[in-house]
Amino acid sequence: MSGGSVQHAPIRGRWGFGFTWVRLVLFALGALGVLAITYRLIFGLGVATNLNDDWPWGLWVWWDVLTGVALAGGGYSTVLVVNFLGRERYRHIERAACLTSLIGYLLVCGGLGLDLGRWFNAWRPLVSWGYHSVMFELFICVSGYTIVQVIEFLYVFDERLPLPRIVRTVLSKIYVPVLIVGVVLPFLHQSALGSLYVIAKGRLDPLWWSMLLPLFFLVSSFYVGPAMVTVENFLSAHAQGRRPPIDVLSGMVRFAGKLMTWYLVLRVGDLAVRGILPRVWEGSVQSQLLLLEVVVGVAVPAALFLVRSTRRQPFWLATGGALAVLGVALGRANVVFTAMADSAHGATYVPSLVELAVTVGLISIGILAYLFVVENFPILTKEEAAEATSHVVERTMLPAPLRPRPSYAASARPRPAARPSRGRRAEVRVRRSPPSG
Amino acid sequence: MPPNTRIPRRTFLKAVAVTAGTAGIATALPTGSAAASGGSTGSTEDLAEEHAGDRGLLIDLTRCVGCGRCVDACKAENELPWREDQPARGPDAVLASANWSVVRSEGRVGADGEPRYVKTQCMHCLDPACASACFVKALHKQDNGIVAYDPTICVGCRYCLMACPFSAPSFDWDATFGRVTKCDLCDERAERGEPTACSEACPTGAITFGSRGELLEEAHRRIAERPDRYVDHVYGEREVGGTSILYVSDVPFEELGFATGLPTEPLPSYTWEISQLIPPTAAGLGLTLIALYARRRQVLRAHEASEAGATEMEART
Repeated sequence: MSGGSVQHAPIRGRWGFGFTWVRLVLFALGALGVLAITYRLIFGLGVATNLNDDWPWGLWVWWDVLTGVALAGGGYSTVLVVNFLGRERYRHIERAACLTSLIGYLLVCGGLGLDLGRWFNAWRPLVSWGYHSVMFELFICVSGYTIVQVIEFLYVFDERLPLPRIVRTVLSKIYVPVLIVGVVLPFLHQSALGSLYVIAKGRLDPLWWSMLLPLFFLVSSFYVGPAMVTVENFLSAHAQGRRPPIDVLSGMVRFAGKLMTWYLVLRVGDLAVRGILPRVWEGSVQSQLLLLEVVVGVAVPAALFLVRSTRRQPFWLATGGALAVLGVALGRANVVFTAMADSAHGATYVPSLVELAVTVGLISIGILAYLFVVENFPILTKEEAAEATSHVVERTMLPAPLRPRPSYAASARPRPAARPSRGRRAEVRVRRSPPSG
Repeated sequence: MPPNTRIPRRTFLKAVAVTAGTAGIATALPTGSAAASGGSTGSTEDLAEEHAGDRGLLIDLTRCVGCGRCVDACKAENELPWREDQPARGPDAVLASANWSVVRSEGRVGADGEPRYVKTQCMHCLDPACASACFVKALHKQDNGIVAYDPTICVGCRYCLMACPFSAPSFDWDATFGRVTKCDLCDERAERGEPTACSEACPTGAITFGSRGELLEEAHRRIAERPDRYVDHVYGEREVGGTSILYVSDVPFEELGFATGLPTEPLPSYTWEISQLIPPTAAGLGLTLIALYARRRQVLRAHEASEAGATEMEART
């Protein structure tokens, strides 16, 4: 492997995880989520959620499963592009993309598990094969791919905390099959998420029901990969005080833009072939949400990605990424909610507070996990890590009032007073000082 | 996430073998099982023939007076509670965890200005979408035609609720470990060779119990005898490939809240068309990736060799 061309390093030299206000809030939300999960497990779905017979699937399926899996698609698409298509310049961001994907899938498994009314039976599919169900394919592929990603992470883990020799030997032997299975499985289950709704032909609005649903889900998960990696890079670069790698990202989104063009052609062509293209202009809520999804969520970001001058400007690059991500989330929501509304016999569904708390809590835990791993494991390239080190180590500390002893008090800069407000201002000044690496 | 190690050639070849083998097994498996499960690919006529002996009901809406005896009998037979939030009779009657069979009244829709009553329960499809959607086979079509449910293996994913075009299955939301609930066409009574509780309780003869083949003939006979009275449509004959519950009516079914406009193909056949593409796709993809990887390794090898050569040159000078 030419992985040797890119050297990775953790941000922190020593183990640690600092706290900022933002991280405290994330912790609080995560704790609240754990409480909500406990509540749901004890009292059941009926009490904890607003789901009902007309809306058997809701927020958790939309966000935690359908959207979560799609947004975590940055992992497999990057692996494919780097390791199989040989685009070495993207190796740069491969580990960060894969980490996002791994955490995403762990959250998906969590969310999916909570949604199971009889979760103690979750092992049953292993022995009672309902192979004719798309859900079976999904179960096998998602759990299989999660295991594959955990194995892939072990290679990184090993660089920081050496594993026992026997594990290393096994890992070195299974690397290529793991890499290959790690691309095949996502292809299958990304499309399976779309196939899931094919059997709901009797219930789904024809604006969305199509035999091509699996293809739509697959292609959108593929193009949202680069978009998500872009958004994630902008956010983490901001948090870690480094510049996002515009060159790498703009190259990736150009590829996404081309795919999105194909996707648009497919979507419109499908509506036309099925003879319901005129319905797009009928002005119903459904048609307007479809237009929003396709125009604002696909066409606009595709244009931003395809035009050289916009994709090379950080602002437009980030905007395009965010729009593409939101577009995919809206697309999934349209299938789960908008397309089902007419067959719900007039019943309505608004997520309960417990459902919201669980989803928000899982996202918070995911972000915290990402931050911890990036700081303590070799995920970023050496240069990026060095750029982030001074910034992160200085900044990620308990907010002044909660801090036991300011660890940068020993730094050359004398603090005018010990008052918390001043302390925070001092911190800001430290942050703005140029990175020492 | 790549390690900074090189992969020995043998490992690589093994990987090729394992992937190809897995793909092969995957291809063989569902194809063989599809033949065993049958149905999924059969035409409506084949299905009707195959299931002519199945346990079924013919519900004649012209004879129903909405007395609700069938509902009482169903509740008694299956020990289901009466719940205020789940009306089992009247205009708002709805199938739910405690309502396996309901009688819904539909305003004054008849030509005579009288209301009509629609007994509703699981339709026991010939090729049921719910059973095909169930990924642990907790729902399955028995030989006697009943779509039965086994709570001991059910995972509670509720995909069956999503898949059913008739909204027949319900979920017992109130329990910590809820289960799916629906009419089982009196499975226990079937073992004793008895008709369903609802058909036995009906005082007007609106519910006829029998085998699907006979009931279908009977339905067409009634329509042929009184074409002025009946709508020329046996609901359930062709809907989603056919159901074991059949309806005849004097009021068009779309005015009675029936799911109309359903395809005549069984819903699982749509999914099947896609699912059978999966094994070859997976195999093809796996082989493509192996080929891509092999080619890439060659390029890298050449690159490394030339680099090594360059370093040697430098060392010499």
